[in-house]
Amino acid sequence: MSLAEKYPKEVKQILAKYPPEHKRSAVMPLLYLAQREDGYITKEAMQDIADALEISVTDVGSVVGFYTLYHDKKEGKYRMQVCTDLPCALRGADQFMESLCSNLGIKVGETTADGLVTLEAVTCLAACDRAPMFQIQSGDGLKYYEDMNVDKTMELIEALRKAESNS
Amino acid sequence: MTKQVTLTIDGKQVTVPDGMLVVDAAKEAGIDIPVFCYHPKMEPVGMCRMCLVEIGRPVMDRTTGKPILDDKGEPKLQFLPKLETACTNPVSEGMVVYTQSEKAEAGQKSTIEFLLTSHPLDCPICDKGGECPLQNLTMAYGPGKSRFLFDEKMHLAKMVPLGELIYLDQERCIQCARCIRFQDEVAGDAVLGFDERGRSTQIVSLSDPGFDSVFSGNTTDICPVGALTTADFRFGARPWELSSSASICSQCPVGCNITFNTRREAMSDGKIVIKRVMPRQNEEVNEIWMCDKGRFAYHYAESEKRLSKPLIRKDGKLSRASWDAATQAAGEAIAKAKKDLVVLASGRLSNEDLFNLKSFADQVEGKAVLYTHMGGGDLVSLVGVGQGTNFGAMGAGTTIVVVASDLYEEAPVWYLRVKQAVQRGAALIVANPRETKLDRYASFVIRYSYGDEVRTVHDLTKKGKVGDAFAKAENAVILFGSDGLGLDGSTALATACARALNDTEHAGKPNNGLIGVWQRANDQGAWEIGFRPEENLVGALKGKTVYVVGADPAGDDPALVRALHGTEFVIAQDLFETETAKLADVVLPAQAYTEREGTFTSGERRVQRFYPAVPALDGTRPDFAITSQVARQASVILEGTSASVVFDILAEDIKSFAGLNYAKLAEVKPQRPIVGRGDLYYGGTTYENKFGLGVQLSSAADRSEKFTLPRVQKVEELRPKEKKLLAVPVTKLYDRGVTVESAKLLNQRIGEAFVALHPSAAEQLGVEAGERVKLSLDGVSEDVVVKIDETISTGVVLVPRSMGLPISAPAEASLKAAKKVSVRA
Repeated sequence: MSLAEKYPKEVKQILAKYPPEHKRSAVMPLLYLAQREDGYITKEAMQDIADALEISVTDVGSVVGFYTLYHDKKEGKYRMQVCTDLPCALRGADQFMESLCSNLGIKVGETTADGLVTLEAVTCLAACDRAPMFQIQSGDGLKYYEDMNVDKTMELIEALRKAESNS
Repeated sequence: MTKQVTLTIDGKQVTVPDGMLVVDAAKEAGIDIPVFCYHPKMEPVGMCRMCLVEIGRPVMDRTTGKPILDDKGEPKLQFLPKLETACTNPVSEGMVVYTQSEKAEAGQKSTIEFLLTSHPLDCPICDKGGECPLQNLTMAYGPGKSRFLFDEKMHLAKMVPLGELIYLDQERCIQCARCIRFQDEVAGDAVLGFDERGRSTQIVSLSDPGFDSVFSGNTTDICPVGALTTADFRFGARPWELSSSASICSQCPVGCNITFNTRREAMSDGKIVIKRVMPRQNEEVNEIWMCDKGRFAYHYAESEKRLSKPLIRKDGKLSRASWDAATQAAGEAIAKAKKDLVVLASGRLSNEDLFNLKSFADQVEGKAVLYTHMGGGDLVSLVGVGQGTNFGAMGAGTTIVVVASDLYEEAPVWYLRVKQAVQRGAALIVANPRETKLDRYASFVIRYSYGDEVRTVHDLTKKGKVGDAFAKAENAVILFGSDGLGLDGSTALATACARALNDTEHAGKPNNGLIGVWQRANDQGAWEIGFRPEENLVGALKGKTVYVVGADPAGDDPALVRALHGTEFVIAQDLFETETAKLADVVLPAQAYTEREGTFTSGERRVQRFYPAVPALDGTRPDFAITSQVARQASVILEGTSASVVFDILAEDIKSFAGLNYAKLAEVKPQRPIVGRGDLYYGGTTYENKFGLGVQLSSAADRSEKFTLPRVQKVEELRPKEKKLLAVPVTKLYDRGVTVESAKLLNQRIGEAFVALHPSAAEQLGVEAGERVKLSLDGVSEDVVVKIDETISTGVVLVPRSMGLPISAPAEASLKAAKKVSVRA
């Protein structure tokens, strides 16, 4: 099913925001829409978007490649993105990340065995004063979690896991 | 005239047009500023930072608008604290540029040092080594030593196919984006892009098939490093081992100027062979570009199937014979036939070959027939584009009409040139029965039904938005083709086009007139020399003695096999043992055009020389010489030793060629942008034109001759009848013609023979896209794959030419779903 068939209302809304001769500008919101379902953008979805905006699929792929919040591979349902920039590191982000890794049994960039969480290190989420902090990217969008520690984080993951198995 | 600006570069005063970039102004002054990402044919981006220079601008007094002077009375200059890129800064009055100051050189040195941090320096095994801008500029501007740790170099994939034709070496890429920008800005196929960012940035192509563009080879010319290489030349030879010969591409009527690179090599048994085909600059023809068909379809002349000995039919079998015996047999047959001689030749031959053939036919009062499905070349001689016509000079004020032609498939470089003219402001009218790639650049798209070509062109002269765009344009050019048309249909269309141009006074001056999008490189030349096609070819051959040169009628159409069987005598002259040769009485082996010299006349009626690139295959002779030899046996004396002398005689005989000779055709003049010289990094590895820009023929309109254009012939209207299908021929770039078929690389892009249907027609017939069906035309059937085209009318099916089924003109067709194989669950 194409993107326009799956989300007719949303696609229409997004396209309405741009003048028809500049509809290629709708590429980013459409990519977010495409990513909502599976947490990544499929080749078919890129082609859909390219066709809808009359640009080449390579152009769409370049945008996906350039921005770190777009993904073209299936990974964890929740992407936990921990800021490890210098100010955050000064407030313990490095140790936080390290023990989070050992608690989850994965390395940075890897996904938990159940496919729930992918752990990533990112730069500057503009919340240095509340580090250690991370954002979770999922189909619901982005959510910030600030002033975190490992226990609180593990509880959060447990809650996500429970919610997942209930649904 | 544009305003001129005077500036000083490295102490040299230069006066150049306002708006020129500093890098180009320096070039004019003979100063080479090093560049990687800048290319004179594309918008500057300032990505590579190689062209860093110091730029000082005079400080202006805001009240008077005059420069402020210093103590010495000189204008006070203001330099930015940092270096600037010469490729993005336009010149301004009084500007002072230092390209070799200590500061500038330090900047250039650092840029090289940075670029090399992730470059493998594998020059000894790199195809670009020897003609590589990165190599050259590293030698000229690099620091010699790097402060970066060698062990921390990036290592990336070295053989990434972007498609079957082009390979990417990710390590060598310096991310200048020349290839991406070329595909986007010049070719209009945005199939390359960057993936990731920062140190991970890589070139990718996500199109299907990969790197889906017929211009892909050009990216390897302009790649300033060895990142992009062709599958054809990859690890094929070192550039300095190659000799070069100027030539003309023989694949289509554009007449791209090319260079054959050759070498003698052990792997070819010590023979001299062509290793690659490169574009040669001719700003009025192909600029510095060429299409992939021209670049990769040159292997056919090396085919094992080449004929190398004359053959004579003895006891029903063709057996080897001497040249004397074969030409004598041919000559005697023709001497006997006299007016019953039919010379059947194609535009694959050079002007010299065709002229000798025509003279021969004339002297025995035989007929010279052009083997083609498309008419109208005689009208192009009358109102063809005027001398001095150049797509590169067209812009606002010019209207270009493309009718019944898919330029991207039929003449790719014209597609590119027309597109560029539109981007400079020219108006484009595309009239076609189906959607083509050119539509997206058109100011007006006219979609007519097959059969309505003449009416559509006639309407161009009527009042209205489209009519005004054509009739009232300062300049107008019409390119007509044969999409869905046979000989009579295309002749009628050409007549309508010629009349439209003549009636609106768009003939006899530069950038005005008619162009035929022919099938072969020298079709127009054949028309100029007097060859004419025959509407009823089957009838015209009956009982005649036929001299077939550079054509394979028997291989193209079973009806012509029967026709050739009904002739008195057949002489076949070709490179290969074609189907026609197989049923001939005498077979004469000809040289490939790469083995000899001669001239072609392009669709724009530019006569251009090609030169021998490789030694001729033993036992073969040039066509014009063979014809002279055969003619001698029929007591007709024709020049047969020198192509240039044949051309001199031709020029005396044929009005439009008057005054031309080989020396004139070899004349060159300086071209802009400068791409040759030592600094090949500027334009890429395209060749400088040192062997002739060619000369455009004059048309009757150019010569202000009186002529009357014929009335538009009535053509039997072919419409799809109720419950019947009308098959119309269309042309594909990559077809099963001998040149593409023998090029292994392009072979993969040919695809399967197909038939294109309207969705509702497919539904009615109960077939789906991708399904195999049996298509029958004139009693010949073939399995083909169904394609869907929403832009054609329901009763029409498109059948590609030269893809198996013979189709020279629209014809009734029937279509049956192939037996479905049931799969047991």
